[in-house]
Amino acid sequence: MAKLDVFTQDWCRAWEEKVRASQDFAVFNKGWEGDIGCFIIKDPAAGLPEDQYLYLDFEDGKVNAICMVDREKAEKAKFIISGDYIRWKQVALKELDAVKAMMQGKLKLKGNLPYVVKYVKGVQESIRCLTELESRFPDD
Amino acid sequence: MTYDADLNFNYFAPTKVLFGKGSLSDLPYEVKRLGHKAVLVTDPGVVATGMVDQVKDIMGSTLSGIYEDIPQDSGMEVVDRGASLALSSGADVMVSLGGGSVIDTAKGMCIIMTEGGSLRDFQGMQILTRPQTPHIVIPTTAGTGSEVTCAAVVMDRQQGQKILIYEYFNTPRVAILDPKMTEGLPPNLTASTGMDAMTHAVESYCSQQRNPISDGAALHAIRLITRYLPLAVSNGSDLMARGQMQLAALMAGWAFSNALLGLTHAMAHSLGAVCGLPHGLANGILLPHVMRFNLEETPELLADIAEAMGVVTQGMTKQEGGEAAVFEMEHFLKRLGLPLSLKDVGIEEGALRPCAELAMSDGSIIYNPKMIPDPEEVLQVYLKAF
Repeated sequence: MAKLDVFTQDWCRAWEEKVRASQDFAVFNKGWEGDIGCFIIKDPAAGLPEDQYLYLDFEDGKVNAICMVDREKAEKAKFIISGDYIRWKQVALKELDAVKAMMQGKLKLKGNLPYVVKYVKGVQESIRCLTELESRFPDD
Repeated sequence: MTYDADLNFNYFAPTKVLFGKGSLSDLPYEVKRLGHKAVLVTDPGVVATGMVDQVKDIMGSTLSGIYEDIPQDSGMEVVDRGASLALSSGADVMVSLGGGSVIDTAKGMCIIMTEGGSLRDFQGMQILTRPQTPHIVIPTTAGTGSEVTCAAVVMDRQQGQKILIYEYFNTPRVAILDPKMTEGLPPNLTASTGMDAMTHAVESYCSQQRNPISDGAALHAIRLITRYLPLAVSNGSDLMARGQMQLAALMAGWAFSNALLGLTHAMAHSLGAVCGLPHGLANGILLPHVMRFNLEETPELLADIAEAMGVVTQGMTKQEGGEAAVFEMEHFLKRLGLPLSLKDVGIEEGALRPCAELAMSDGSIIYNPKMIPDPEEVLQVYLKAF
């Protein structure tokens, strides 16, 4: 399978399909309501000259959307997770657990933490699906 | 004890510690080192002991005002009101004098004093981007460990849940551990707050995020608590025991703020939010039951805990060593004269199911050594403790 460039709509669609196909995600995310805006902070030296905004909309075990959006849309999400490009890359490559990254301040979560904790296995499963993709990063 | 070959972790412990009888006298110098004037945050119980007057005298002109209305299980509105008062007094440093509720309220105030707005605007994890108002903590209990942690637990009455605030940038700058400041603590509170420290040490030692540094702190805290907590309970004027308990609570605080906690805390926070049960008391009752629940995952670690508590585990299997830790913890609670069941402290059985549901969304549950997919499992542990 050809590698997909990260932060593109094709890459998002491929990730969305993986999550949609996950039975575990459907179970772990059951009851969840709310969208997530992910801020990927630019790193020109690594080939990412502009901030990127990823948008995930999950609802009760289903995937409504995973797509790239503008800052305004991402800022309106119920939960916002932000961090440097390198941290997101580490998460996508399974080198860094997202929850541990938040605990260590490598990623910042804005929103109701207890709610995220309740559905943490759903969050982790969605990320596991991401790690199944063959992703190509700007600095690869 | 063994660690994964790919072990990697951050260890964060930036608080300066001043320990010893009379160390309180350094307070004004620490205020001046960090700023100009400090607001003193405390609660009515501490005021009644006369300690506030003593601290006021020592602070002299470095004191800008006092906020003394902190209730047990303080809430977001208390934080917002306090921050407003502190700013209007001209404070640029925070001094908190009290137990966990006072210290955590002061931590929330530090954020609002720097960032403005309401604490409700800062829900999340590690969202701050700069150092917050410098905070000097003078604990009057030996248990919470909050004097050295970046975590604060504040009640959100709108959501009916205790909210965890976890921010490296808001870790206290100085902890003053003067054994005299815990001398007046009654035996029952000495015991229950001491069990809070014990629970921090045990849960961090068994956490999925444990590391060699937190393990060292946790095990030594367990040794100190086992030896000195009964002495501090039986003779509150034993300043040697009081001081060692302060150090144990601090070490357990360092351990859990890096390794995190487990199911006992998730369950105790929920009992606090739903039934108002004091945190240390809840931890003490629940701890042996959660240890038993986790036994199949962590027999070796629990055997280490048994050894730290003075049990001779030589010749035992790991399983036997783990069981010995559970047995020893139950025995320890009895020695301290603490209640052993939730029924003993007036909890109604009907409250346990909502508590079990709530515990599933508590941040402490994530790194419990045994995965908990279903609130029914939490309910079973509550029922065993009932």
